[in-house]
Amino acid sequence: MTRDRFDRAAIVLGGGAVLSLVFALTTSSNNNFVKVQGVALLIFPLFGLVAVLGGLTGRRPVVLASGVLFVLSGVLQLVQFGHSINWIGGNGSTFALLLAFGIGLLVVATAKPTKVRT
Amino acid sequence: MTNATDTADPTASGSAPSSTEQSPVTSGALIALLRLGIAMLWIENVGWKAPPNFSSLRSFTQDAVDHPVLAPYAWLVEHVILPNFTFFAWGVLLVESALGVFLLLGLATRFWAVVGITQSLAITLSVLNAPHEWEWSYYLMILAHVAILCTAAGRSFGLDGLLRPRWRESAEVGGKASRLLLRVS
Repeated sequence: MTRDRFDRAAIVLGGGAVLSLVFALTTSSNNNFVKVQGVALLIFPLFGLVAVLGGLTGRRPVVLASGVLFVLSGVLQLVQFGHSINWIGGNGSTFALLLAFGIGLLVVATAKPTKVRT
Repeated sequence: MTNATDTADPTASGSAPSSTEQSPVTSGALIALLRLGIAMLWIENVGWKAPPNFSSLRSFTQDAVDHPVLAPYAWLVEHVILPNFTFFAWGVLLVESALGVFLLLGLATRFWAVVGITQSLAITLSVLNAPHEWEWSYYLMILAHVAILCTAAGRSFGLDGLLRPRWRESAEVGGKASRLLLRVS
């Protein structure tokens, strides 16, 4: 498997998702940046690792799957936050971050390799 | 994600950078830091805009009427936005989420910087005269987005920098969408 710039971007995005766990440390304060608790504690690192794995092996479908899972999680969070049923346990900030990783991974997974020209 | 390869060359004027000047990589990293910080500003502040009532957002929106900054804007809020508040509140939630998403990724960054300026202006016109507000918070929000716009911040460690060569290839063979993406990135 060869790795190109898009694979490296997938690794960075996946790694960023794993690092999002740091927000869990701040959820008790008023300034929590992103609400990461409950099921979100699993979603960010798990889907992030899938993206990293896809990037490391140069397998775009794996990166694509990770992006789809992030987007679906984001949509679920959007529908449920502010209501009594909130499976992911987040709020609007959780939705936005899930969507960011999802869209980013979908973009790098579907981008065609380019002739590098600087 | 990637460093810019098509940003303006600071040495293009012909003078070589001295040892005290920042390298393009350092400048790019600092520009990316600004972009990521502003993205986090939007992402965090989506958190308290909670449906279905959006009660906190309604309170801040009401400030535009109770402590008017610009009479026509106060009229607009009182007669158009507040009577249809749920619709506009969902709009705010989605626009501010998108601001966080796209500025974080550095994707179509210049377009979203303009959206950020517009949204910051709307916030300014809503709460500038409310008690206990620090007016420079809002001026600085606007200026930060101006900086992101002027530096095309997504080209530094963002998806714009990664994708612009691809968009340029496509634009050269007549791709209209790619031409548009080159303009907004």
